[in-house]
Amino acid sequence: MAAKDSPLKQFEIDPISNIELGGYDISFTNSSFAMLITVLVITLFLTLTVNTRSIIPSRMQLISELMYNFIAQLLSDTVGDNGKRYFPFVFSLFMFVLIGNMVGMIPYQFTFTSHIIVTFALAAVVFIGVTILGFINHGIKFFTFFYIPGVPFYMHPLLIPIEVISYLSRPISLSVRLFANMLAGHTLLKVFAGFVVSMPFFTGVFPLAFIVALTGLEILIAFLQAYVFAILTCLYINDAYHLH
Amino acid sequence: MPQLNPEFFVSQLFWLAVFFTFLFVFLWRVSLPRIATVLEKRQNKIDENLSSAKELQEQAMEIEKKINDQINKAKLETDEKIKETINALQEDVSSQLSSLDKDLEKKVSDAEKEILKSKDDQMKNINNEIINITKLTVGKITDIELSDNKINKVIETHKGNFN
Repeated sequence: MAAKDSPLKQFEIDPISNIELGGYDISFTNSSFAMLITVLVITLFLTLTVNTRSIIPSRMQLISELMYNFIAQLLSDTVGDNGKRYFPFVFSLFMFVLIGNMVGMIPYQFTFTSHIIVTFALAAVVFIGVTILGFINHGIKFFTFFYIPGVPFYMHPLLIPIEVISYLSRPISLSVRLFANMLAGHTLLKVFAGFVVSMPFFTGVFPLAFIVALTGLEILIAFLQAYVFAILTCLYINDAYHLH
Repeated sequence: MPQLNPEFFVSQLFWLAVFFTFLFVFLWRVSLPRIATVLEKRQNKIDENLSSAKELQEQAMEIEKKINDQINKAKLETDEKIKETINALQEDVSSQLSSLDKDLEKKVSDAEKEILKSKDDQMKNINNEIINITKLTVGKITDIELSDNKINKVIETHKGNFN
């Protein structure tokens, strides 16, 4: 456990109600609560704003449509026509990470995307799904993915292990990227918030101004990381269709 | 670092699975189809409007073409009519002129004939008068009764001097 005013204290998980299932502790925690808020925000927003189904959209409906078109465009740009059937998944993933990050920007609110286990689970779902997709599409030929054509034959003993390692490290890089960004950002905010309190007299204004700027940057990063997560998922899906 | 504490890993994974699955199924089955229908409806409407606009434009072009055709046709017809009328008028005028010419000629020739005839008549009258006067004067002066023929002969011989 971190010290009382440690910048890492915000990442601690507190059970709200203790639940046990089959010998496992599945307590409903502040992390689960943040997920619940995220899911509620997404589902309510996307449902209620499109409730009227008007041809001339209201501003709120326009936001929903923009998000829809944003991910649809992303998928069709990277994967093409094959990508349409993965649209609900990529869209859910994008919205879950995006709103999860944004909910985390609310002061005193827990950020579940700053937990490696959560991001790793999401990345693992993508990785396993994409690998299965690759085998479904190409069968055993999927292994030629690790074989780079047009390279001198004596390079293959070196290149094939590199390719395999880079493929296997995909879920790690995908999850650590998101986790580290969220962790670093929130820690930095907390550190500067500590400065505001501890600095003498009015000099605390300077770290406060920095926090304001940093919050803007964090919101940008929150969006950017969700976008990166979605676009990498699209690229992996594309790889499962088109080997080199 | 609390992130590396495995105490709540199972709980987090469990709730992540629950919430993400719910989110995925809900978006897949409810929200996204709604947005898709709205977008499709709008696209259909736009396509419809575009095609009807195109149709109307074509119709307008057709009507314009018809109007131009009719204007051209009307122009040709009027030209023809004008030409016809001019021709007819010219014919009329020339025929009337020629008939007038004929009339005039006839009248002139009639008048000439009449003049000639009256001249002859006058000449004859003058002859008779001359004969009578000659007869009377000769008779009164000389008591010689001259016959008409004799006087006539004398007149004839001197006619050249009268004219």
